[in-house]
Amino acid sequence: MRVVTAALAIATGIIVLLGYFFPPLEPLRLTLVNWAIAIAGMAVLVGIFNLVAVQMEKIRSRQKGSVYGAVLVISLAATFVFGALVWGPENFYLRLLVVEAIIVPVEAALMAILAVTLIYASIRLLRRRVDVMSVVFLAVALLFLFLVVPTPFGPVPGDQALLQFLGMFSRGGARGLLIGIALGTLLTGLRVLFGVDRPYGGN
Amino acid sequence: MSIGIEFISALIGLILTLLIFSYLIGDSPLFRIAVYLFIGVSSGYAAAVVWHYVLIPKLFQPLAALDPFALIPLVFGISLFTKFSPRISWIGNFAMAVLVGVGAAAAIGGALLGTLIPQFQAATGAFDLSSAAGAVNPAFALLEGTVMFFGTVLTLAAFHFSAGRAADGTPKRPRLVEGLAWVGRIFIAITLGVLFAGVYMAALTAMIERLSSIINFISQLTGL
Repeated sequence: MRVVTAALAIATGIIVLLGYFFPPLEPLRLTLVNWAIAIAGMAVLVGIFNLVAVQMEKIRSRQKGSVYGAVLVISLAATFVFGALVWGPENFYLRLLVVEAIIVPVEAALMAILAVTLIYASIRLLRRRVDVMSVVFLAVALLFLFLVVPTPFGPVPGDQALLQFLGMFSRGGARGLLIGIALGTLLTGLRVLFGVDRPYGGN
Repeated sequence: MSIGIEFISALIGLILTLLIFSYLIGDSPLFRIAVYLFIGVSSGYAAAVVWHYVLIPKLFQPLAALDPFALIPLVFGISLFTKFSPRISWIGNFAMAVLVGVGAAAAIGGALLGTLIPQFQAATGAFDLSSAAGAVNPAFALLEGTVMFFGTVLTLAAFHFSAGRAADGTPKRPRLVEGLAWVGRIFIAITLGVLFAGVYMAALTAMIERLSSIINFISQLTGL
């Protein structure tokens, strides 16, 4: 079975990859990608089903925090029933009661809390680890904020030139990080296609 | 403000914002209820979106049109539910293999065509004298390109972990690579500092938006 799963992964991967470069394989590539999208959609449902199962088990065994689990399960079931089966995700009332009343305000409020926790983390960084890197990191962050945030006295003189100078270094580093991530992705993908890594249970 | 669906929506948003802000005092049941509600609603909404925009067009509609090939992703998809039982979970490995294979190929294609080639082109394009001549300040454009090029190379050098052995047997990078990596880490610190400032500004904007929405709601409610 392990050989079959590995062969399946390698074959589908190679066909999809070749489909990028050889036009005759394009229809087969699109078919495989569409299958993968459908399977991924089912995987999302399996993941959500698992989330519900774990919370239901917490409620059934009356574990600590099971009330929160009940809130999660009820809200999930209600949203899914109305969003998938009754109204549809683009329905006006669903968007108003789910997206605008719950999802957007909670996301924005959690993001707002981040403003406080980031300040706290910066202070802790200077207390726990004072070296060149952390000092450069915080100094650049403060300088960037000083140059970008509006002040009561108008723009800081020479702010655009300073931002351009700072951007020269940050863009170089960002490009290096992006290329590093892409090289890592490339290597991981090739390891899967060569069967060295088998994260689908093929050992 | 009339009591309609918009009012109820704004009121729920206000209450949830206050529940989330209660975390600033400390972790409390109020905060947890808001977070669990958020996770439940987001998951339910994600499932509804997947149902409508993925499963219906890619799976159920082809099945309704009696497309025999639609049975393949259906069987693979259903087999994923065997992952709940350790005894028969191996059946789901075939679907996982297809997902991983297609995902790996898409990742390779994306990394190559979407990041590596365009980034290499942009890094080397900065030394194109014909385009630098068209810039407002050609000398600065060339300087910028040079600094960015060295920043890229030195950042990559910071992740160079091949090492030889020191006299005491501990792994040690060559002195030149160590020096280049140190400068590369400075570039990374500058980049992360700018990113941190960007995230902080986004967080600050979200806080201003939430506070102004609370003030607007109360002022409309009281008519002030």
